[in-house]
Amino acid sequence: MRVIIIGNGLAGTISSKTLRELDQKLEIDVFAEEKHHYYPRPNLIEFVAGNIPQERIFAFPGNWHQRQKISIHLENPVRRILASFQEVEVGEGKREKYDFLLIANGSSAFVPPIKGAEKAGVFTLRTLDDAFHILEYLENHRQVAVIGGGLLGLEIARAIRAKGADVEVIEFFDRLLPRQLDVQGASLLKAQIEKMKIKIRLKSATEEILGQKEVKGLRFKDGTQVKRDMVVVAAGVRPNTSLAKEASLETDRGLIVNEYLQASHPKIFAAGDCIQHSGRVYGIIPASFDQARIAASNIIGEQRKYRGTVPSNTLKIVGLYVTSVGLVNPEGEEFEEIQIENKEDGIYKKIVLHNGNLVGAIWIGTKKGVTEISRAVTEKQNVTKWKESLLKDNFDFSLL
Amino acid sequence: MEKWECTACGYIYDPEKGDVENGISPGTAFENLPDDWVCPQCGVGKEFFQKMG
Repeated sequence: MRVIIIGNGLAGTISSKTLRELDQKLEIDVFAEEKHHYYPRPNLIEFVAGNIPQERIFAFPGNWHQRQKISIHLENPVRRILASFQEVEVGEGKREKYDFLLIANGSSAFVPPIKGAEKAGVFTLRTLDDAFHILEYLENHRQVAVIGGGLLGLEIARAIRAKGADVEVIEFFDRLLPRQLDVQGASLLKAQIEKMKIKIRLKSATEEILGQKEVKGLRFKDGTQVKRDMVVVAAGVRPNTSLAKEASLETDRGLIVNEYLQASHPKIFAAGDCIQHSGRVYGIIPASFDQARIAASNIIGEQRKYRGTVPSNTLKIVGLYVTSVGLVNPEGEEFEEIQIENKEDGIYKKIVLHNGNLVGAIWIGTKKGVTEISRAVTEKQNVTKWKESLLKDNFDFSLL
Repeated sequence: MEKWECTACGYIYDPEKGDVENGISPGTAFENLPDDWVCPQCGVGKEFFQKMG
């Protein structure tokens, strides 16, 4: 049996690894647009910041594919899927036959329609080559704007600041990490980041990137202009769906899969950033990981169901732990929010209850109880009896 | 000895078990892992791990 995998990011790599664990005889071919071997994307940030050398970007040793007996074809993207023939077209008219196809071609950086976004000096950070280009340009351009105050935007700002450049983060919303935090938590985070000499500009929609051919500044919707000579756009990612669409597979925002992670053709499975499952597009590592393992198992003939992944993010930024689990900005009267803040110590905690069940939590400035609270959110535990004491420092989290 | 969790993918390093597949014997504390050790699940480096609890 032969399985072809499209993409060598996390989902493609983990699914190939899982397939090999489950079946020693399987023929596995990975076709990737990428010219580099698998690297975890978080490493790109540390590489840009200068915290890890180039050779440590990669997850596995150079001979890993050989040892696993996985054929890897770098810079050799699948150009067309011929589902009814169970073939893919790679290179110039060259076709490869498969028994099962696993699509894991990921997502691409989203660049909002900003005038001048095509100018030299405008970057996104998605691939290792992007990181090389950013570092090269950064050598002679020291006034950087990062468009997007989400997780990636802040991480990029930190990395560029570590290189000694002047950085300003531009956020459209009224707060940082709009997806993970509420107003109160975000303002505490903002104060901490500003201590690092990273500037933050909220409620600002970038209308135009100024300059002749190269970036010279930004102009916002309200007419304000700032001088900047480099821009990194971190406005989220979008699933790559064009390949699937051309093959007439069902797509929406992402490639639509059922609970077995099967696309609308029985011989095609999919995993990772490119998919849409139960109306959701994840774009986070733990989800891609779960999906890759399950899709690989199902190709081998198991019947494992993917039940979704609860988004959980703990990040450490300016030495501050930020954890956000589940629903953190609820809308509606049926929800109850309880919070506690200690500005001096940089601590903010909040829980969100729905009929007494824990459905979301924010933990800033402390890790104590993070594991337990995350699990309790996943299980939607009823915490009514502890709701007054749960946020206190001395709460015994082993009760959860 | 304390367990450490990968903030990128959620893998938990349990010193009692080590990471035998990658040459780390049981009983190795996280602090004593070699600098080039990476998460056996997703491949990020030690700096992405945080102590649990």
